[in-house]
Amino acid sequence: MRFEEISLSQVSETEWEIPRTGGMLVPGLVFASREIMEDIVRDQALRQVMNVAHLPGILFRSIGMPDIHWGYGFPIGGVAAMDVAGGVISPGGVGYDINCGVRLLRSNLEMATLRPRLPELLAALHREVPSGVGSTGTVRLTPPEMDKVLTGGSRWAVSRGNATGEDVEFTESGGRLPGADPDAVSDVAKRRGLDQLGTLGAGNHFLEIDEVEEVFFPEAAAAYGLFQGQAVFFVHSGSRGLGYQVCDDYLDVMAAYTRKHALNVPDRQLACAHIGSDEGRRYLSGLAAAANYAFANRQLLAHQVRETVERVLRLGPRDAGIRTVYDVGHNNAKFESHEVDGRRRDVLVHRKGATRAFPPGHPELPAAYRDVGQPVFIPGDMGRGSFVLAGAPGAMRLSFGSTCHGAGRRMSRTSARRSVRGKSVFAEMERRGVLVACTSRKTLSEEIPEAYKEVGAVVDVVDRAGIARKVARLRPLAVVKG
Amino acid sequence: MCAASVEALFSLLTDRRKIRRSGRRTLDPGSGPPEEQLLSILRQALLLFSLDRFLVRDAGAIMKSGRILVTVRGEPVDDARHSAYREIKAVTAHALTVEEGPSGFTARFVLDV
Repeated sequence: MRFEEISLSQVSETEWEIPRTGGMLVPGLVFASREIMEDIVRDQALRQVMNVAHLPGILFRSIGMPDIHWGYGFPIGGVAAMDVAGGVISPGGVGYDINCGVRLLRSNLEMATLRPRLPELLAALHREVPSGVGSTGTVRLTPPEMDKVLTGGSRWAVSRGNATGEDVEFTESGGRLPGADPDAVSDVAKRRGLDQLGTLGAGNHFLEIDEVEEVFFPEAAAAYGLFQGQAVFFVHSGSRGLGYQVCDDYLDVMAAYTRKHALNVPDRQLACAHIGSDEGRRYLSGLAAAANYAFANRQLLAHQVRETVERVLRLGPRDAGIRTVYDVGHNNAKFESHEVDGRRRDVLVHRKGATRAFPPGHPELPAAYRDVGQPVFIPGDMGRGSFVLAGAPGAMRLSFGSTCHGAGRRMSRTSARRSVRGKSVFAEMERRGVLVACTSRKTLSEEIPEAYKEVGAVVDVVDRAGIARKVARLRPLAVVKG
Repeated sequence: MCAASVEALFSLLTDRRKIRRSGRRTLDPGSGPPEEQLLSILRQALLLFSLDRFLVRDAGAIMKSGRILVTVRGEPVDDARHSAYREIKAVTAHALTVEEGPSGFTARFVLDV
């Protein structure tokens, strides 16, 4: 298949290769079915996969997931691993919403008994969990407390009684990235974050009550504490204004570094710095701090969900049984050890709109999940459901322990809004059996199900490619949007 | 063009007609090529909202000692009168262009939402 001047060869049912041309240091590798590839070629995402392949120190392949789409510099749905010795770090490879991610909470509640209480529960969650543009949280941090959040992540919340040891255990990297330095975060970024901790935000961020509709991999579902008919809670949010500002601040630093060192990058948005440089190390310290803020943010949101559900349903913690299945980010850059060309290497893995998906046996997994692999959550659209996956061995061979992160947009926000003009999105969602509470009707119209690719098709690709395995499908029944 | 771009940015955030002109701020992009000046102005304008909850009704630009200064008029967010349309994470340099045509300048910028 050729798209414009890009040559693509399908190397398996689910893998497409873009051969090395020009200044590309490695080939491109995109996971997609033929149908999904026909969607992907509509924007510039493949060109961006090629651009990323020019970055100094990139190893193996510049990788695209089936939910790939055009992003800032790097495509969203992109993975790039850089050699720690001589490679670069690029803020465009992480994105503005640093460590944006998903937490899944399970419960002892069956949807059959919860269903009559859903309207009341949704209204309470919409009221109690701050959401929407400019929303502020119940926590107002002092500057010293902010520094503790930036270095402690979710563990900071344990000290406040807003998290359990189990929450932290079942969070990626134990809810805290090492190397965070509050001094690497600007005062403006900190000010933006002072009153936003514990807020959902807006856009595609959400809080959802789902039913486990179908189980595909019973052993993993059992390990994750999931069963058919169960009520579960999904939280999708990130590092809020603090993370956006960290990205903005360092784009300028990286642009100056790229110019000064005459780095050969084909797009100014791929501005970067060598990992070992002062600029690179400082960004990584700021990135870790913002990632920790995101971990703490989702922890406070989860805590608020837990308390609200227990209060509305008049249940104690033991009866409600709302516990963290896992919390995992999809916008990050992390130091990891991977085998490349038969040799174990220390690498920095950029995942932008891609989820870490470690397979069974990986030492970083909690003991309870070591036999089945790391939980991965793939939110779909608010009408058609989401998936729980488990990391699979192919991910270590093909994608630096990574998989997709969502359905991926197929309609611009403007097109989505136009398509629903004059119609009630609330009524349409209710007809589909989904209750919706939202702060902005504009946001809601931009997030209609038709604006996204069908998540089942995306997930089928990564399952067939062997980089993640389907565990369960979740059906949304109540959604809070910002 | 800088002033019109700031107004366009705030039109995406809220209904500007409901913003009163009770406050004033000045944005200084410093020196540099037109694209970088525009990016700087827009980033500062977005921070007015993100950091200070200040909404812009209208904007005007003047040249002072060979430099552009953008003055904006508006007011702090009043939740009773202002509704926010969407969250804008950042003004990006993605596909940012400033072009001169027969009828003036045209700017194109992409926001991360």
